[in-house]
Amino acid sequence: MRGRSRGGSRPRPKKKKRCPFTAGGVKEIDYKDVETLRKFITDRGKILPRRITGVSARHQKLLSNAIKRARMVALLPFVDRA
Amino acid sequence: MSQTQKNLYEGMYIISSSLNDDARNKALEKVLEGITNRGGEVVKNHDFGRRRLAYEVAGHREGHYFVIYFEVTPTAISEMKGEYRLMEDLVRYMITNPKRVMEKIEFKSLENE
Repeated sequence: MRGRSRGGSRPRPKKKKRCPFTAGGVKEIDYKDVETLRKFITDRGKILPRRITGVSARHQKLLSNAIKRARMVALLPFVDRA
Repeated sequence: MSQTQKNLYEGMYIISSSLNDDARNKALEKVLEGITNRGGEVVKNHDFGRRRLAYEVAGHREGHYFVIYFEVTPTAISEMKGEYRLMEDLVRYMITNPKRVMEKIEFKSLENE
């Protein structure tokens, strides 16, 4: 049992998660590549956890650094909406 | 530590979009001169275009972006930063250490989403 099941609900089927950066053989993530970075933030501008996106640890670090740089030059928001 | 060794830098500059073409070029020229006057070398100069800022910066909602690759000494960098503080048309800048010079600013999109 993986701990989290409540009230007799069946365990959710595991979704296959693969790191899109590893799959594409990405070595560097550039802060200027706003289009890609946008896929990994919420609509409030927060960085999505890799639990959700399936990004590898290595790439998550590169990704978060790139997002933070992009924020500094106003290419991405620190907070959006409200 | 040797301060005479030139390093490669990537600068992103946001110049006020309320300027006309002439004034903008002048502001850009000033940035470029700041590099060359200190014995630096401008390797590549990209116009990254006019963009909406993700948040308001000093009253600006839009800015004209430039990406400049250049080689200067570390001492020149700190001098340049001091100069940037006095440039009112320079909305924001960021200097990073790139691995290489990008000849074109374009990116492959992630294939399988």
